[in-house]
Amino acid sequence: MSQADTFQFNEGRSVSVRYRWPGHMLVVVALASLLLWVILFVRTPLTELPWYFAQRFFVLDATSMLFLLVVNSVFLGISVYIASRVRMSRGLAATALSRAVLTLAFMVAMNVGVMANNLLLLWAFIELTTLCAAPMVAQGEGLAARRVAWHYLLYSSMSLALTFLGILCLTRSAHLQDMEINFAFDAMAATLPPVGDNWQHLGLALMVFGLGSKLGLAPLYSWLPETYEAAPTSTSALLAAMQFDISVVAVFRILQVFRAHDTGFVLDELLIMGCLSLTVAAVQVMASRNYKRLIAYACVSSSGVIAIGLSVGKAAAYGVVLYIVSNAFVKALLFLTAGRLRAVYGTNDVKALSGVIRVLPFSGLLFAVGIFALLGFPPFGGFLAEMLILSGIVQSGNLIAFTLMCTMLTIIFVATGRAIFPMIWDASEHPGPLLKENWGTALPKLGFVLTLVLLGVYTPAPISQLLQQVAQSTGGQ
Amino acid sequence: MTLALVAFLIAAIIPVFFGRIRSAPLWLALQALALGWNAFAQHNGFSIHALVALLEVLAVRVAIAPLLLRWAIHRRAEPNLALMPSNLFVWALAIGLIVLAFEFGAPALIDPLALTLGVVGATVAMTLLLLSTNDSPPVQLLAVLFMENALALFEALLPEPWPLLVHGALSVIYLLTVGVGSWLIAVPDAPATDEPEVEEHA
Repeated sequence: MSQADTFQFNEGRSVSVRYRWPGHMLVVVALASLLLWVILFVRTPLTELPWYFAQRFFVLDATSMLFLLVVNSVFLGISVYIASRVRMSRGLAATALSRAVLTLAFMVAMNVGVMANNLLLLWAFIELTTLCAAPMVAQGEGLAARRVAWHYLLYSSMSLALTFLGILCLTRSAHLQDMEINFAFDAMAATLPPVGDNWQHLGLALMVFGLGSKLGLAPLYSWLPETYEAAPTSTSALLAAMQFDISVVAVFRILQVFRAHDTGFVLDELLIMGCLSLTVAAVQVMASRNYKRLIAYACVSSSGVIAIGLSVGKAAAYGVVLYIVSNAFVKALLFLTAGRLRAVYGTNDVKALSGVIRVLPFSGLLFAVGIFALLGFPPFGGFLAEMLILSGIVQSGNLIAFTLMCTMLTIIFVATGRAIFPMIWDASEHPGPLLKENWGTALPKLGFVLTLVLLGVYTPAPISQLLQQVAQSTGGQ
Repeated sequence: MTLALVAFLIAAIIPVFFGRIRSAPLWLALQALALGWNAFAQHNGFSIHALVALLEVLAVRVAIAPLLLRWAIHRRAEPNLALMPSNLFVWALAIGLIVLAFEFGAPALIDPLALTLGVVGATVAMTLLLLSTNDSPPVQLLAVLFMENALALFEALLPEPWPLLVHGALSVIYLLTVGVGSWLIAVPDAPATDEPEVEEHA
């Protein structure tokens, strides 16, 4: 009996109702949370923002509003997927409660962290999301998953320790110039020494380096592929599509605070890390024959594109914001589809999955669509975003970065296609009847595809204004 | 340099050169004790803030964290190896890094607190050296906790101690880090296998 047949047999026996409630609870909380932010977004003109609350420790501005909408949309999709999988998988049902509790804690830390109006608070919430995610990563494949989860925690702790060291250096810089630094983002710029000394430069460089590691930027990126591969796919989706965003918010906040200061060397640092990440990703994608690893390395390359875009600023800023939003949906789509493939075939090896579209037409098609969106094909949002970033790089006159980015993206495109397209369209090694698709797992992925297409062909005016406002806050035109 | 700083430096350097895995919790507790001593001395006299900060260091960093580390080491049952490989090259590298760390703080030597910077730098350097020379999870966890202690010591360079709320938040994060870290490393690594496990993943 083939693995596919085995799976079909297993799928027929659904899990007892008493194990399903954690999944349903996740969906209800995710739906309520998304509704809350959508209603707030629809009813609040952008001109009325920012709103400060809880003694100005938290803020609802364009940046937090955009990322709250994105992470809660993605979270709803992941929750529906988890609830649907819990119904069909006994293994998952056994850990459903602990996973649901950790996922909720992760989500609360994400939502509150995105709204933080204080550097220390934001740092603490990023660390909290890591501490919630590490046990979820450990629920992955066997005992090796624990080791991978430990590596993830180790890398995160060290990179956030470097970020914290950067914060301390900033404080030291202010102290040496007889100033007292205020870590509230809205007041921080005014309390920074007007002339940046070595301490301030060191602090900024350490903060960007530490947060760069959380984004999966080279050189401290090695935690990312092994974590995304070993973690359960819903956790990989949470990390890639959501935790990534809170680190992006932290980088945005730093850029917003230091806009009026000399940040040339930080932009150079981002440029170098971005170029290095693209190069590393291109080499690793060529060597990889594991579809979850391929997605993970594609995430490293996406981080590289974002870092290069941020280093250019101005004309590329809108493209960067659009790229980040698109990427959250692309990564969630790909990891959730990869979860379905993993559940059917029991392996991450691309060779074993040849002709997946003949066994799982819907998942195969969605995976192909996700790969096209990831590679920046039209009509998805990523295409428009990449064009805007490339045009921004050309306008800034940095032709070396432009050439390197184009070359590496082409290599990644060819290498990904060489590995993934035969997996999808070749003759199947497990010929047999088509497997039934579950609407519960399919629905969120369809929602992600629809969002990606909308971002590429028609962005409603309020969303477009929101993207523009965030881009302007980071120095965009 | 105050006695507390000397004690902190000794607790950061000696174990790296001569310590073994099972003695790591003791060195961690000693380092945290020196940290508490230094922090209390920093407060310029007795205050509720100073007392609470000291109690927090004693409870979390001196007692709970080393106990959790000891539990994880015991559960893993690894051989009692040296924390850092004992060879001349690594020793020379370590000594060079310590000297460099103190040189880094040298331009600000007129500041009475500048040597604290040297101690922080030396501890961070030892942490990174430990991580690059030993891949045993208990040693890696020890390195993370040394780094966290170094960051806490850096606070001594600030004009005013942070509010208790910030201290509390940092303590919770420290506690969660050591708790989750100990839980993750408490099981020995699985033997490598070529066979992929067939199980469902969501």
